[in-house]
Amino acid sequence: MAKIKIASEITGAVWKITTQVGQSIAAGEPLMILESMKMEIPVVSEDGGTVREILVKEGDAVQEGQIVAIVEG
Amino acid sequence: MPHEETLAEFEERRARVRSMGGEAKLAARRSQGVLNARERIARLVDPDTFVEVGEFGTSILPEQSADTPADGKIVGYGKIAGRMAAVVSNDFTVKGASSSAVNGRKIAHMKRVATQRGLPVVFLGESSGARMPDTMGARGMGTMLGNDPMQYQRMRETPWASAVLGSCFGSSSWYACCSDFNVMRKGAVLAVSSPLLVSKAVNEAVDAEELGGWRLHAEVTGLADQVVDSDEAALDAIRTFLSYLPSHHNEPPPRAAVPAGSGAEMAGIAGLVPERRSQVYDMRRIVRCIVDKDSYFELKPRFGKAITAGLARIDGRTVAIIANNPLHKGGAIDTDACDKATSLLVMADSFNIPLVLLVDTPGFVIGREAEVRRAPGKIMNFMNALSLVTMPKISIVLRKSYGQAYLNMAGGRNSDEMAVWPTAEISFMEPAFAASVVTNAGPGDPGYEAALQKMQRETSVWDIASIFAAQAVVRPDQTRDYLKQMLETHEMRMTRGVGQHLMRTWPTSY
Repeated sequence: MAKIKIASEITGAVWKITTQVGQSIAAGEPLMILESMKMEIPVVSEDGGTVREILVKEGDAVQEGQIVAIVEG
Repeated sequence: MPHEETLAEFEERRARVRSMGGEAKLAARRSQGVLNARERIARLVDPDTFVEVGEFGTSILPEQSADTPADGKIVGYGKIAGRMAAVVSNDFTVKGASSSAVNGRKIAHMKRVATQRGLPVVFLGESSGARMPDTMGARGMGTMLGNDPMQYQRMRETPWASAVLGSCFGSSSWYACCSDFNVMRKGAVLAVSSPLLVSKAVNEAVDAEELGGWRLHAEVTGLADQVVDSDEAALDAIRTFLSYLPSHHNEPPPRAAVPAGSGAEMAGIAGLVPERRSQVYDMRRIVRCIVDKDSYFELKPRFGKAITAGLARIDGRTVAIIANNPLHKGGAIDTDACDKATSLLVMADSFNIPLVLLVDTPGFVIGREAEVRRAPGKIMNFMNALSLVTMPKISIVLRKSYGQAYLNMAGGRNSDEMAVWPTAEISFMEPAFAASVVTNAGPGDPGYEAALQKMQRETSVWDIASIFAAQAVVRPDQTRDYLKQMLETHEMRMTRGVGQHLMRTWPTSY
């Protein structure tokens, strides 16, 4: 089981966290939604697995490339 | 010598060449599920069409000639879907398919004939770099390398396609980067030099996958246009890629039959775009709906994902698609997406392929990270490339089109026809940001809401249609029909479908 670091692909703010630690997710399923450029931008894992860590909270500012969650898959 | 003996020698020599690097090495490949160089050619070309050239070439050094069948690079001509192509297949079982004086001549011959006669070139890559110790020393270098000034020159007279099918250092990686299409098999490596040399020369411990594996080139460098799981899938991808291209730059791409069921999903296309303007969606579903059934051949799908780009057919005609994908970065165009769009523009310009642009972008990504990545330069490369394409350009705005991105996505006179969906909104800046900048205020502050409402009203498609800055307002469900008609209208009748190729020397590997 590999630990996959999930990075934000854009600078913005965490609008809504839609998963929780321990939850199973499918490939392409959103972990959270960011707000940037007036758009709601999902953060997705390319691979399915189990959410092991969520490293941000709603309202946090995030930078492009910042690791926001760890998925084990 | 009697003819019988002469022919027996011929057959014996041929059998030795066909045995390649020996049964032990070939068996090891079979056990790994990897095709050998001859099996790859057989899979690539139509049955019984391959004619080998230079099969009796060997190392230029007499003491190595017995150990170097075909000198490690198998070349020749064969048909791909009925059209002739030149093929270079690296035989890793012979001295790691290392580059030598003789096999360099064989490749040069393939490229020369392909260029003169109008044939695509396919490179099946797996090579260890320049042959050592032959190239060592000043005499070695002078003999083996640098004797062909055209070796890595690219003028795009004919399409080049490459597959990275094993360790690719040296010429295999160079040709992959010079090609119009590069497919990579998982497990293969594309790099300047091997992990061993890296560890010796710069004391960096790095494994091959990290150094030049598929994830690096699919997601970070963009040097892989597609990634597949097997040799067979890579060879099939090259056949598919070439099916969209002309054999050379002086003819239009071939026209294909239109598959049954094409356009069958058009009635539901508007429903694929969320009504709430801040919500994202996957533009690739829109593309697949519009183009001929199963014809979208996406390029660099994991790189610069805010734009989806690729080849497709509409009414059997090859088109290049450049479309914002709001699913990633909300459709905000980053520098990788600029590079991806630019490289497809170069290909479209070089090989007479009309462009279709589908627009839904809030603009370019801004911020320090974007500037560090040379965003202004990338945006202008993209814009200049668009302006240099002499093929028909048709742009359709689905939803947002703002600022400089409006120009880059072929807004206004940057396309031959610009159409808008009734859902489109066009302005210099996202109204919420503009209202804030103009009033120096935010939500709830005096003046802000009134400014915002006015700016939102002014993004209407009816305004741009009324001044004929858009040539049509198109119902979403009629988009395919509109494009079919525009592609026919804008056929390049005066030049038999051939453009000016103003970017044929542009590099695309950046």
